[in-house]
Amino acid sequence: MTITFQNLLPIPLKDRFLQRSSDIWNTTIQFEESAFIKIKAPSGTGKTTLIHILYLLRNDYEGAILFDSNPIKELKDFELATIRQQKLSIVFQDLRLFPDLTARENIELKRILQDPYYPKEMIDSMAAELGVTHILEQRAGLCSYGEQQRIAIIRALIQPFSWLIMDEPFSHLDNENIDRAANLIDRECKKRGAGLMITDLEHDTHFYYTRELNL
Amino acid sequence: MEGLNLLLKKLIRTASGRKRFVLAVIGLSVAMLLILAAVQIQADYNELLVSKSNQDSIANFLVVNKSLTDQNLGNTALSDSDINDLKKQPFVESIGLLSPSLFKASIQSNSDRFPFYTDIAFESVPDSFIDVAGKDWQWTENSPYIPLIVPNMFLDFYNFQFSFSQNLPQLTQQVVKMILFKVNIYGKNGMISLQGKVVGFSDRISSLLVPEEFMRWSNARFGKDQQTKPSRLIIKTKDPGNPQLTKYLHSKQLVTDAEKTRFSRYRQVVDIVVSVSWLSGAVMLAFALLVFTLFIQLTIASSKEEIGLLIILGASPYQLQKFLMRQFFPINLLIICISVIVISLLQFYTHGLLQSQGIFINVYPSIFTLLTAAILLIVIWWVNRVTIRSYIKKVN
Repeated sequence: MTITFQNLLPIPLKDRFLQRSSDIWNTTIQFEESAFIKIKAPSGTGKTTLIHILYLLRNDYEGAILFDSNPIKELKDFELATIRQQKLSIVFQDLRLFPDLTARENIELKRILQDPYYPKEMIDSMAAELGVTHILEQRAGLCSYGEQQRIAIIRALIQPFSWLIMDEPFSHLDNENIDRAANLIDRECKKRGAGLMITDLEHDTHFYYTRELNL
Repeated sequence: MEGLNLLLKKLIRTASGRKRFVLAVIGLSVAMLLILAAVQIQADYNELLVSKSNQDSIANFLVVNKSLTDQNLGNTALSDSDINDLKKQPFVESIGLLSPSLFKASIQSNSDRFPFYTDIAFESVPDSFIDVAGKDWQWTENSPYIPLIVPNMFLDFYNFQFSFSQNLPQLTQQVVKMILFKVNIYGKNGMISLQGKVVGFSDRISSLLVPEEFMRWSNARFGKDQQTKPSRLIIKTKDPGNPQLTKYLHSKQLVTDAEKTRFSRYRQVVDIVVSVSWLSGAVMLAFALLVFTLFIQLTIASSKEEIGLLIILGASPYQLQKFLMRQFFPINLLIICISVIVISLLQFYTHGLLQSQGIFINVYPSIFTLLTAAILLIVIWWVNRVTIRSYIKKVN
């Protein structure tokens, strides 16, 4: 699935963005399948806004986003659900786990929301790789932010997808954990032939990016 | 699928507002019982009206005439428009005119050992209105005797009053049917004497009946010239207890045997019971559905964030609807099943109770009751579905 931005401009930030140049806002740009995209964005440049527009959480923007050749504004509720189950996976900046479910239940929910891509043993294997096995049975709300971040990453990797979108996914991880997570993410994306779109404040070398853009 | 439902159950708590839920369930149950009972009572009553085993053949035939007052003395004939109007009424199946004899007549015993004599008059009706017309019920000019049908009442009057006062023997129906007697008719050219015989007893019409052929012949031959209009007629009706019929007769100042329309009183009572049950059932159903809807709304509202996040994570509205339907609908199904069972038990019990009094109603609940239950189930299902749908949409 290719993703195309056509003259995208969030309405609330329109005036500000028109006054400065950007690789993304107010221009047309296409992302090929399986591309690894890094979007570098200092605070206040609309990073989370972009992610939310792309994930269809808000539609107060001008211009258009196309998945293949379909404008996403025209998606129906059930089509959107199918896309989120099959095509787009996401790690939110604010993670959005269910605090009352255990870490395992949070991941399991996403695994069985559609026909499972992986058997449930994969949860343990990924958790072991990221060093969070010991908190799997703990309520997510009681986990540290770094632990929650890793749970959210596993949750995003347990489902089928052709694009993985991540908004500052490593903000609370130390370098060793970042390396492990990046390894796992890289492997899972390659396995699916999926693209990766990651936003962060700084330049990084966690992945071999096919494209690095400034917001 | 089970795993997902378990997780959803953890997230979307249906436990909040228990009290409201219990209220809604009680309300729905009572409403359901009232409505189904109304349908069942109506069905039972209709069955009582039409079923063979309960049919009261006398009651289905009503002899109708104008009510006699000081104002219409000598003017009680029914006009053609009266008759036609009556024919058009939905409760009238058919109408027969009663023709009176237009001559003077008497009957008299053939034997001196058993003397009797009385002045009489005859009436005739179309044969289809007579319940005891057999092969003897025919008359031609060559017939050896005139067949007569006598009201049972006459014989009772004779046996239990007249015979005592006159020191005469009591007579059974069989004996009476064997007696030939003289029928004297007084015409313009004097009296002629014919033979007569009772061929049947009836409760339907309280007149001495003769075959229509004889009535035509004798009226033509002996009657005064005037053509009289009929002043009595007989109605065949499915339901003499129909309040409409009583009301109609009353409005046209017609009267009939009040005893025969006595059912109309009961019928009115049944009608009132049924409509009260209906109405209160419908009102309760509306309120119970409202409370149930509120309960669904409350549940969705109290899990608003969870539902929102589920949708963000890719749960389809359909998945959530299906899950919520599974939470809310089974209790409704249960309520309806229990209501149907209760009504069935009541029907069974009533059947037994009425049977001992010679009234027969079906031992099973009527098909209409089951249909109503099915329809209500669909209505509730639909209300559940629409509520869940619209509220999920609102959260989304």
